[in-house]
Amino acid sequence: MVLTRALTLIVALVLISPIFGVIGAEAVGYTEPLEVTAEMIGLKEKVLWPGLFPDYTVSGLPDVLGYVVSGLVGVAILLMPVLLRDRLGADKGSG
Amino acid sequence: MHIPDGFLDPLTASLLYLISLFFLYLSARRYFREGGDVYYLSVAAASIFAAQMLNWPIPGGTSAHLVGGALAAILIGPFGGCLAMFMNLLVQCLLMGDGGITALGANAFNMAIVDVFVGYAAYKALMRLTHNRFLSAFVGGWLGILTAALACGVEIGISSQLFSLNVTVPVMAVWHGLLGLVEGLITASIVVHLDRRGWFSRGHLP
Repeated sequence: MVLTRALTLIVALVLISPIFGVIGAEAVGYTEPLEVTAEMIGLKEKVLWPGLFPDYTVSGLPDVLGYVVSGLVGVAILLMPVLLRDRLGADKGSG
Repeated sequence: MHIPDGFLDPLTASLLYLISLFFLYLSARRYFREGGDVYYLSVAAASIFAAQMLNWPIPGGTSAHLVGGALAAILIGPFGGCLAMFMNLLVQCLLMGDGGITALGANAFNMAIVDVFVGYAAYKALMRLTHNRFLSAFVGGWLGILTAALACGVEIGISSQLFSLNVTVPVMAVWHGLLGLVEGLITASIVVHLDRRGWFSRGHLP
């Protein structure tokens, strides 16, 4: 039950996240303090590995949807140990 | 606070990789020796990953999101907190390119080690002194972020050709000293809420 509640909360957070991470971000046009600092001293970012979903985008999908999809994939990877074990546990119980 | 590729000089980046790997090894040994469960790491890492996606845009052009190192440490202990934060950083780096691959050691040092252990130590010390869980968690969350930002400022400061610690350290400290108040508030609210539901008395801690 604790797990179900935690999982529901996690998925809910990801579903509402574009309001903050995409829509709000575009409205305000923010940068992080680290980027501000780096600019002041002339440090430049060199992208070596853009990631499978660069900056929480999925190619071909609108930003809001890409943010949610990439977030759900990230959550699923991190929860793999729990999800796998619960499946195994259930199989053992029924078998 | 995720450092991208290109900000750190190779020496700083590799040194921080070594230090972080050492801390991660020690944390994993302690956590699993004390009967820690992958279950808590997994749920904690996924929760922090999701929470970090909520960037609060602040008019004036900056943003704050929860980092969560102190929060994870208070809820599942510092060794588990360290491992969960690293799992989160690893997925963010490989999947989203959030935080550079050469800067993963530095990001782990700041957010999975400094934030976690400093935040936890502050929380524990204040709990002993005041027995006030809200205050202790608030200060833990705030101080964890502030010290992580200081570490980050030092790292990019010594990496810059201008050796500009006099710029990077104060700028990072002032910004995150302020944004850290939000971190402290969120940390304290979640900790107090879970405490009321018996988190600390029911022996959730591994």
